[in-house]
Order: sequence, then structure tokens, then C-alpha cells
Amino acid sequence: MIAVKTNDLSFKYAGSSEWTLREVNLEIREGEFVVLAGKSGCGKSTLLRCFNGLIPHFYEGEMIGRVEVWGLDTREHPPYILSQYAGMVFQNPDNQLFALTVEADIAFALENLSIPRDEIRKRVDQALKIMDIEELRDRSSIELSGGQKQKVAIASILAMHPKILLLDEPTSSLDPFSAKQLIDAIINLNQRYRITILIAEHRLEMLLPYASRIIIIDNGRIILDGNPREIMEKHDVIPYGVSIPRIVKVVMQLKKTLNYPLILGTPLSVDEFASILRRWEDK
Amino acid sequence: MSSILRGLQFYPGKTVIHRLDPRVKLLISLLLMATAAMYIEVTIITIVIVVEALLSTVAKVFSRWARTVYGAAPLIILVFIANFLFKLSMPGQTLSFQSIYESLQLAYRLVAFLASFSIFFLTTTPEELGMALTKMKVPYMYTFAFISAIRFTPILAEELQSIVDAQKSRGLELEKGNIISRLRRYIPILVPLMVNVLRRSYELAEAIEVKCFGAKKNRTYLKELKMTTKDWITLSVSITLFTIAIYIRYFSRITIP
Amino acid sequence: MIIFENVEYIYPNGFKALNRINLEINSGEIVALMGENGAGKTTLLKHLNGLLKPTSGRVLIDGVDTRHSTVASLSRKVGIVFQNAEDMFFSPTIQEEIAFALNNFNFPGNVIKKRVDWALKFMELEEYRMKSPFLLSGGEKKRLAVAIILAWSPDIVALDEPTVGQDVLQKEKMIQIIKQANQQGKTIVISSHDVEFIADLRPRIILMNKGRIVKDGPCEEVLTDIPLLQECRIIPPQIVSLTSKLDFLGFKPKLARPEEVASEIARRVRHLVKYS
Repeated sequence: MIAVKTNDLSFKYAGSSEWTLREVNLEIREGEFVVLAGKSGCGKSTLLRCFNGLIPHFYEGEMIGRVEVWGLDTREHPPYILSQYAGMVFQNPDNQLFALTVEADIAFALENLSIPRDEIRKRVDQALKIMDIEELRDRSSIELSGGQKQKVAIASILAMHPKILLLDEPTSSLDPFSAKQLIDAIINLNQRYRITILIAEHRLEMLLPYASRIIIIDNGRIILDGNPREIMEKHDVIPYGVSIPRIVKVVMQLKKTLNYPLILGTPLSVDEFASILRRWEDK
Repeated sequence: MSSILRGLQFYPGKTVIHRLDPRVKLLISLLLMATAAMYIEVTIITIVIVVEALLSTVAKVFSRWARTVYGAAPLIILVFIANFLFKLSMPGQTLSFQSIYESLQLAYRLVAFLASFSIFFLTTTPEELGMALTKMKVPYMYTFAFISAIRFTPILAEELQSIVDAQKSRGLELEKGNIISRLRRYIPILVPLMVNVLRRSYELAEAIEVKCFGAKKNRTYLKELKMTTKDWITLSVSITLFTIAIYIRYFSRITIP
Repeated sequence: MIIFENVEYIYPNGFKALNRINLEINSGEIVALMGENGAGKTTLLKHLNGLLKPTSGRVLIDGVDTRHSTVASLSRKVGIVFQNAEDMFFSPTIQEEIAFALNNFNFPGNVIKKRVDWALKFMELEEYRMKSPFLLSGGEKKRLAVAIILAWSPDIVALDEPTVGQDVLQKEKMIQIIKQANQQGKTIVISSHDVEFIADLRPRIILMNKGRIVKDGPCEEVLTDIPLLQECRIIPPQIVSLTSKLDFLGFKPKLARPEEVASEIARRVRHLVKYS
């Protein structure tokens, strides 16, 4: 089942002389965990906003091509319909929560959609549970740490029961420890609750071991699209502003010096690497 | 000035006053203010202020309430002087004990006004206030704007501090110079602050858009205000007392010192 | 020379952010402050130019007690690039934005012009000289923030989380800038939780936890102390984690470049592998 797709998508912001997205063609299936990578300003954020109708309805500009979200043409449907399929979480923890308690923030979107009170209560409880933040229910969102705020932000979107979660650099203002916790929670959403994930990020070491797919964008075009392991193995991605995890660099070196023939593929996490070497040693 | 602001801030509490329906509290404040407006006599105003003091004691916020009143002193003195000078400027008026007394009464009344609203704000959460506004059929857009303003004030205050820190670190000295140059020195503070507010508003607009703000005309609410027995009793008592006050003022011949 | 003597700082709300801090940083050093959010790094940085003054103890910058100086006078010597430095712009052009501090510090007109030119060149912003700072991209804004501070050539440059939100190319550039500034004799103090970035820079590291300094030493020593890093809620650099898990190959946790690790692994594995 295709979740979202684009056909020859190009977009230019109003007042800009440059095209921010150029002839983007991609298809994302339900259940995938896709990472969008590329240097700052490459078009990742713009692409995300094409999937929930912010482009073309909230941002002015020229859009060519077609975007479909669960079969709905984004030109024909307003953001409030599309947002019920594609929920978006932003970078800044402070500017996406506006109620006075966590519970109220999670209920906000549901209230806007005129959902009956009992159903709202159920979904709020559910969202709190899924994100493991039940103890924060009555807290004021102003007092929370950055990581907690982002969890609340995700919960407030989950309450709408979206099928795909669009995340725009959600960990960029968090310290590594909180970032890891947030990413683990997002991975859990995909693995346990089967929510499709499309996440734009710079911090790739934590994501790559779990991503089923990485899409690298440069200057508005898709340069590489595929399995993270294969891409890291075969291509030099640094010029595109994509960081290579250190251990991958070690592996690349190993391949040059030692005939690394028994190893299948490229490990993306320390544990993977260690266990591969261990198995090799046992032979 | 800041003590007035602090007096208007909400502090969490569980007293019987805190738990009253915010609409009832709003009404009580308004009734007290109306009483103070109807009467100029010092004894009545004093009674009003004493009632407010008692309410604040029950709500355990007496010291903060007193601080508001205290903090409003400069404002009150200003009103007194302004009114007195205004009186003097009228033709045929002379400096007399009577005119001083009348200006004092006016200023004293103002104390009662401020004090009654302070109680309301000290015992009501912004959330309850929002719910009250909704219940009173204020369009959600305005309630939301109101709640956002309250919620983002501390964040903006932090932002302001950040900007001041950054500019001081670039050698900006705010205390130096005369009035004109001092005002100019605030440009590096105000421009970034305005830009920040604008940027934040834009990001917020995006965030509420993806949360379907304005999607449906009949918005539902997770929490709703309901009047309890205590609320109704308090309400009736307050209205009764107020009716008596009106009666005494307009329909009886009782004179009051 | 920066000296902290028994410094304590308690915020007005009662929170003790710094607890008996004692440290000495010599001229020309590069030092990284590490620790999770809330450990006290930013609080410590703000003590360098007097924005915050210790509630007890004292801070000496080249012998001058910060409690007896103004922020403006200390800033002449200590330039701090804050995390959200992009939020302080207010001028119509980048040129004027850079000149602002120079004017405040009473630099003569002709010197201001020279310093602005130099800063624009050093941070590769010359082509944007007359552009509005608000129209720059995120990365360019960060470069401008650094240009602004370097323009008045403070002896000590402090950076608060310089790599937040940056891609790998921008981070490499940042390392180059830091090294260049240090080569010009500047003392550099960086507060960062980006372990890989710090690992590449190899500075002296001051590790903080809950307002205290828990370790102060060379990069290789601090970033390989895995138990301590975990206590401070810091994720060790990948190479360190990798080497610590390769104990069966005789490794001990260490910090090294990928090429070195690869050849080490190759060497040790050759001892063990039986060619079939």
C-alpha cells in the first residue's frame, strides 16, 4: 500500500528565484522508516511540507507536479484534511505547544476536529501511554525539558491517529541523551505500532541501524535513494552534507587493508560490528 | 510595577476560593467593584476593602494581595495628585480641605478596584479563565489568543533576557547617557525582540495549522465548567448582599459617614 | 588566564548551578566544557564576561576580578558566541552589525573599517557585506555571529554549543575556524555536547555534572572513561564504544582515527584468523 508519493514535484517559494525542489519522484509505502538527509538548505523541510498540504496551501509559491497522500491529491484538499493522514512534528519544542497543560495540548487537535469528549479522553490516554509520558499529564508544558516537550508534541499529533508521521529535525535542539530517547520512541512507533515514519535529520548514527531507507537530497533533487547499508558502502556521501558514522569509516578502511570477505554488508551500529567480528573470530 | 504584576499572577492553591467556579469569582470581583463605584463614603469603601482582605486570607494569598495594593501606591498617588490639580484648575475652586478630601476618596476607591481584581487573578488559573470565556460564548479565536498571550509571556521574558545578555556582551551599556541616547540604545534590544515575536508567531501559525485549528465550526472541549452547589450558594449570597447595598444607596434614607 | 576560585552560583529561584568550581585555563589553550543540559556549562560561560557574578568565590580574568568590572569592559577581552546568536541581529546590513560592537568599544573609525573587512573575509561573508542579516541562511547566520565576535579580537573566545543544527560540512568548517583562531593566540572555551565534534578537535576537556567538575584532563583520557561518561549522561564517541566492545580482540577503549582503528583490527585479526 502506497502511503505518499510524488510525481515530478518541483516547488519554488514566492519571491525566490531558485527552485527549492526539482523534479522529485518518490514513493513511500506503509510501514517504512525513511530518513531524509542532506545539507542544510537542501530542501528536506520543504519536501516534508508537501506531504501535509502546508505546501501549497500555507506557503505561497509555484508548484509543479503532483503529490498524493493516501490517494488524496494535496492540491485538492486543505491541510486540515491531509493532517489527519500525515501528522507533522517540528524542530522547535517551544513553538508547537500552546496549551497550559500537557493534557490540554494533546487534546487540542481533537477539539479542533469536533471529536466527542469521550473519544478525546480515550485518545489522550492512549497517546500518553504510547509515548510513555503518563506522569506528565497535568504538568505545565513550559516547565518540561526539551526532550519531554518533543514527546508531548509527538503525542499531540498521534492523538489524531495519523498514518504517517513527518518529523522535521525533531532532535536538533536536544542533547544527545535526550535525542537518543526520542529516536528510540520514534523507532518504537514504527516497529510496534506500524506507523510510517519520514524523518529529516542530521544526526544519523542513531537512526541508520533502524531505517529501512535513506533518501539523500542535494539542491532540491533526490541524489540517492535506497538501503542505508548499500548506500554507505558504495557512495561517498560527505559532499552532500551527510555524516558517515565513524564505524562505517572503520569498515571502509578495513575493506581496503584486509580482505573483509566474510563480512556480509556494512554494520551500522557498534553492537552489530562487534558481533560480526566476534563471529569471525570464532571461526 | 513588578509587584503589581506579581500580584496579578496565579499561584496554585486548593482553598475553597480557588475551587469556586471562575465565573462566580469574576462576578464577585465585579460586584465589589460596582459597590465601590456606587459609594464614595469612606466607611463603605473600607468595608469593601476589608471584605477583600478577608477573602484573600481565606484563599491564603493575603501577603501577595497586600503587595499588589502596596505596589499600586505610586499609581494611586498619581491619580490623587492629578485629580486634585484638575479640581483646582476649575473656575472658582480654591485649595480647601473639602477638595483634598474628595480627591483622597477617589484615590481610595481606586484601591478597592485594584484589590478586587487582584483576588480574582490570584485564585484563578489562566486555563479556568479560558474555560470561563468559552462558556460565556466568547469566540474561540479570542480565547486562544488570550491564553497564548499568557502562556508565551514567560518565554518572551526569557528571550528578552537572552537578547540583553547578548548585546551587553557586545559592549552595549544601557545605563549610560541622557534620555535621548538611552532610548536609542534600546533599538538593539527591541528590534531582535520584535523579530523573535514575529518568527515565533509564524511557527505557531504553522503548528496550529497542522493541528487543524479552525477546521470545524462547532469545536468540542475536553474540559467544561460546571457550577456546583457551593458555587450557587456563594453566588446567591453575593447577589443578595449586593442588592442590599443598592437598596441602601438608592432607596433608603440612611446616611453613612 | 582564567581562574575560578571556589566559585558557587545560585540562581534567584534557589537553584545551585555551580558548586565549588575551581579551575585554571592558561592563555592559548583550547578547552571544552562537557556535560548534559543543566550541568552548569552555560552558567559557567556567563561568568567569563561578568554576565553572571559568583554568589561566592571569585572569577579572575587576567587578574581582574569580574565582580568589580562591568560586562562591557570584560567583553573587550572575552567574546562569547551564544547558542542562539542569530537572535541578536538588528542592523540593516551585515557590515553595520559587525561594526556595532567595535563602536561600543570605542575603536577609532579607520580601525573599525579594517576589522570589519578582516572579519568578513575570515568568515567568507564578503559577498554579503551589504545584505540584511535577516536574509542569510542558517549557516551564514552562524558564521556572522562568529565574525561579530572575532572582529574585536578578544583574547578569549567562548562558544556555547557551536554545532547545534549544523550538517557535517559546516561542522568541519567550524573546527578549522577554531584551530585558526587558536593559532592566532586566542584562548578558546567551547561548551558542547557533540562528542564526535569534540573528539575531532582533541581539546582539554572539563567534564561537569550537576554543577561540579568531575574530571579535567586531556581528551583521550576523559572520552575513554566510559563509566564516568555514562554517569554524566554522555554517549561516548563511536570509536570508543567500538574499541571497548572489542575486548575479545585485545582492545581497550581508546580514541583514534578510523584508519588507525581499522589497521589495528586488521593486525589483531590476522593473529587469530586461520586461513582456510
